Amino acid sequence: MKIKKTEDKKPRKADSKIIGKLPVFLILYISAFLVLSWYFLYVRNADTMFFFQDRGWWNSTQLFWDTCMLRPGGFLSWAGAYLTQFFYYPALGCAMLIALWLLTFGLAKWSFRVADEWSFLLLIPLAALLCSIIQLGYWVYILNDVDYVFYHSLGLFAALLLSVPFWKYLPVSEKVRQWIALVWIPLVAALFYYPLGIYALLAAAIITIQNSSQSSGAGETKFKIQNDGLLHFFTFHFSLFTLLFLTLWLVPLLETAGTTLMRPDQPWMYGFRKFEMEHLHDIALEFPFYVVLVAPLLFPLLGRLKTGKLVLSQSIMLVVAAGMFFCLYLRDFKDYNFHAEMRMQRGVEECRWNDVLREAARVKGPVTREMVMLRDIALINRGEFCSKRYTYNNESIQPVTVSDSIHIRIADQAADLIYYSFGETVFAIRRAIERCMHYGYSYYTMRMLTRCALVNGETENARKYLRLLSRTTFQKKWAKDMQRFTEDEKLLPQDERFRMPLKLYNEGSELVGTDDSYVELTIMKKWMYSLTNDPDAQEVALGCAMLMRDQKCFWSQVQQFYNINPGKHFPIHVQEAMLFGVYELKMQGINLSFVEFDERVVERYKAYFERLNLYSSQGMNEKQIGAALRPEFGDTYMWDYCVLREVQTN
Amino acid sequence: MEDKRMKDETMKDAKKSDGMRFSFSHFFIFSFLLLLLVACSKHPSLPSTYTQTDAEPSIWPDYVGVTVPPNIAPLNFMVDSVDDVVAEFQAPNTKLCYGGKANKVQIDEDEWHEMLSAAKGKSLSVTVYTEKGGKWMAYKPFNIYVAEEDIDPYISYRVLPPTFVGYDELAIRQRNLTNFEETDIYNNRQISKKMEGQCINCHSYQNYGTDNMMFHMRMQNPGTMIVCDGELVFVNLKTPEMISAAAYNSWHPSLPIIAFSTDHTMQSFHTRDVSKVEVMESASDIVIYDVKKNRVQTVLNDSTEMELFPSWSPDGKWLYYCSAHYEYNKKYEDTDELLENYKRLQYNLYRLSFDAESMTFGEPELIYDARSKQRSAVQPRISQDGRYVLFAEGPWGLFHIWHTSADIQILDLGAIDHSPLTIDHSATPDTCQNNGQCSMVNVKCLNSPLPESYPSFSSNDRWILFESRRDDGNYTRTYFAYFDRDGRLHKPFEVPSEDPEYFRLLLRSWSRPEFMKEPVRITPRQFYEKALTEPIKVAQ
Repeated sequence: MKIKKTEDKKPRKADSKIIGKLPVFLILYISAFLVLSWYFLYVRNADTMFFFQDRGWWNSTQLFWDTCMLRPGGFLSWAGAYLTQFFYYPALGCAMLIALWLLTFGLAKWSFRVADEWSFLLLIPLAALLCSIIQLGYWVYILNDVDYVFYHSLGLFAALLLSVPFWKYLPVSEKVRQWIALVWIPLVAALFYYPLGIYALLAAAIITIQNSSQSSGAGETKFKIQNDGLLHFFTFHFSLFTLLFLTLWLVPLLETAGTTLMRPDQPWMYGFRKFEMEHLHDIALEFPFYVVLVAPLLFPLLGRLKTGKLVLSQSIMLVVAAGMFFCLYLRDFKDYNFHAEMRMQRGVEECRWNDVLREAARVKGPVTREMVMLRDIALINRGEFCSKRYTYNNESIQPVTVSDSIHIRIADQAADLIYYSFGETVFAIRRAIERCMHYGYSYYTMRMLTRCALVNGETENARKYLRLLSRTTFQKKWAKDMQRFTEDEKLLPQDERFRMPLKLYNEGSELVGTDDSYVELTIMKKWMYSLTNDPDAQEVALGCAMLMRDQKCFWSQVQQFYNINPGKHFPIHVQEAMLFGVYELKMQGINLSFVEFDERVVERYKAYFERLNLYSSQGMNEKQIGAALRPEFGDTYMWDYCVLREVQTN
Repeated sequence: MEDKRMKDETMKDAKKSDGMRFSFSHFFIFSFLLLLLVACSKHPSLPSTYTQTDAEPSIWPDYVGVTVPPNIAPLNFMVDSVDDVVAEFQAPNTKLCYGGKANKVQIDEDEWHEMLSAAKGKSLSVTVYTEKGGKWMAYKPFNIYVAEEDIDPYISYRVLPPTFVGYDELAIRQRNLTNFEETDIYNNRQISKKMEGQCINCHSYQNYGTDNMMFHMRMQNPGTMIVCDGELVFVNLKTPEMISAAAYNSWHPSLPIIAFSTDHTMQSFHTRDVSKVEVMESASDIVIYDVKKNRVQTVLNDSTEMELFPSWSPDGKWLYYCSAHYEYNKKYEDTDELLENYKRLQYNLYRLSFDAESMTFGEPELIYDARSKQRSAVQPRISQDGRYVLFAEGPWGLFHIWHTSADIQILDLGAIDHSPLTIDHSATPDTCQNNGQCSMVNVKCLNSPLPESYPSFSSNDRWILFESRRDDGNYTRTYFAYFDRDGRLHKPFEVPSEDPEYFRLLLRSWSRPEFMKEPVRITPRQFYEKALTEPIKVAQ
């Protein structure tokens, strides 16, 4: 016991020396982590953080609480989903998350008495948590954890909280305390397995190691053995670890024995995030969680690191910090299109057409087909589908070229939003519901289902979704605003969010079929064959026929445009396509005498082919010709038709 | 002395003050307990002042004027857009109030059953008082009629999102109707791997018991779980002669025989129609499976007929089914052609006589010609007395839960000459009202403008169970209706839930409900463990 007292005093002295001067290291480490977290979370990923929130789901009903609590880690799920809501204001959500991390850091430092100069090491699991959020890329679309961002951070905090050795201060002898630990370890796991899942097991493991290390700290073991006897020493440690392994094995097994909501063969890993799909397993994405689960086990040992050797400690800290930054930088998903897609989806949903087009114009490299579709929706709503479509970048990449382990398609991204925007509410509902089942309900899906129900005239169904949305924190306002449409459907066409979808819904033909997960192709094919008398809807049909490069449909839509828009000029791209069809594709039996062409269109058309023939005569290949023509003619239908041949719809 | 006197005075004051503290603390504790008692009281008091209205209250679920069985769980309800609600229930010799907790009325289970017991064959009178903005209003009392006959104590159903092609999350659950207890019979979460789900369907029971029951598993670990005399077996029912593995089914009432349809199912989506989905069978036949002998026998396999939904009569002498006549132009199963002509798939009801000794069937007999009315009749169920055929009728096809105009119909075989069957196929429910000889029961009060489907009789024939989307058009819910001894239907009611708002908030459908006399005794884990084994093949 004497030795124990001496041992207790030592670090306090060392601590007080440093703290007495100034907690420089602490301030430095916290500041560095704060800057790092803010940079990666908010500066680089604000749109992703909003997206996490929007694809999350929490509501204040008892039913939601009960549903969460049916599974191990239920409380973490509920609380995680609740806190994720705050990314509705990304800065607020980020601040809350970082605050939780700093709280975790403080708790760990206090709990394990880690010296300031070594405390940077406590940030390793927190950096791993940060990494787990920013590295996801397209996996965010198929995450079924509505609580993902906060779940593990809360779990780690809770595990550390449970392992705080309150019982250490009990007025009992050390032997008694040791035996109390033997009760506390299984008790923590058993009591908290359902609320905290795997993190209750982590707490049990930390307590074990903490207790073990306290009983056999450096320089103390020899005296311990002398004092307590070899038998007691080994009996205690053997009992401790045997108990831990029994606890880790039995608690999940017994507590999940009655549940039907999870695979009986995986009770030990419940709450551990795995990134696997059919034939894909991305271990790199799982790695941060291994760090989160393993690093805290070493925390009890950090309190024993010697203080005063600043050169050594700070060199190590520097290496760790550099490694941390490097890892975060490397793992941050930087794909521009990935972020632009999220901004464009939000823009389309909120009818901010100018923002969507600005985003589309900003992209320099090849774009995704989803971006093309979202941009086209903005153009349709502004009545510019056939006059400005080819002034934007249509050079598209294939999903497989995205630097991500998962190659998802529009069907898994914003298919419902796209279908809805084209008035295909049934297909939108189908995609929304399918996603709900695969990846859980979300505010986004609820809003989408509400809008579809309103367009379909399914008012009671819309009310159901609004009822649920009104029980959330940040969607109440939207739900309240939508309420008026359930009371008076005549208001729908007057609202920008419904105007065009409703028109396309009403003008579109009724067909029976399926999309085979080809969202773009399904929409284009339906509309290029649709004959409508509504000028806005007909322009969509005409644009789709041009996009699909189907001459028969195109000329039939041209005729329809002429019929329903007497005296109106054909949009620029349609004029280009007509000239191209007759003179380049040699369409027979077309009489263009009724068309009044813009002079500039005709001039550019001629110039385009003159230049093309010239480059061709110089022996340039197709790719080189396309690149050479792009600066001057990249905004024409002809260039798009001739150069972007390998574009595949998604 | 002075000091002592002062000390005594001080002591007295102290005692006095202690005494006062004591009485005050007791007062607070008493008040707190009283408040707690009032707050927790099952029986709130009625408002002393209120405005009376002649209108009946608008309650959710709608239990106004319904007829309920004497063993049903409490009919908890709520009133929208009010701050508080109190309901006074008046049974013979009893008057009890519930509510007083926001806008919900939740009834004590024991007291409810006592009230029902006292009101058996009579009715409960319910007066609802609502409060909004501090003002109370009393509504015109309404009745809840209590039938003499019990309902089967259990139902089982599938719980799933209103999904189309994904099967990540699906369960077959059972609910005790006398209280609110609900448990899984089997949940596919035990086997599903992320998006690789498992479809579970077509649960059925022999004579409402669970010692002989079955359900199918598709996709992951496919096969059919059959419980025969309490023993669990896992069978692969597909034989080379069958179109597919077994699907819709019916247990013979006394023999270890299950009749199945075997079919090719396809599904397509509407682009505008709010019905959303069309489910079609491009080919289908009917077989029977002898569980004990592990043998399959073909019953119907006409390539121009699409036979579905076999259903045994309770005496086991008839096998009812439905069939649509369709001949492919190209002489092969052309799904594209069918997609263009899906509205032509209209099913009639037929039956075959069955000789249990020789295991042979008679010739098909037309029971109900739905096609002549441009309708499609499916999912037949026969009453225990053999008199009534209950079925779902829609415009075409077989999945009427996706057809807004789909209704439940009841054909009265007792009102027609049995040998040979002569049925007035032109009869409609509307023409039945004043016609005692009519073959159709008036089902007007049973149906709604939204889909109704999958009906069945209780084991005593007095209760009809069906699924409907009348709540919101999208999520399927379970309803019961009293079918009295005179063949009259009474206003249906939704399955009661502990929280009256439950079904409004639930984003899952309860589909394909079945009555049961008892709970399933095989545990979900036993089904799971069995599913991991190789299913036994049918003997050739």
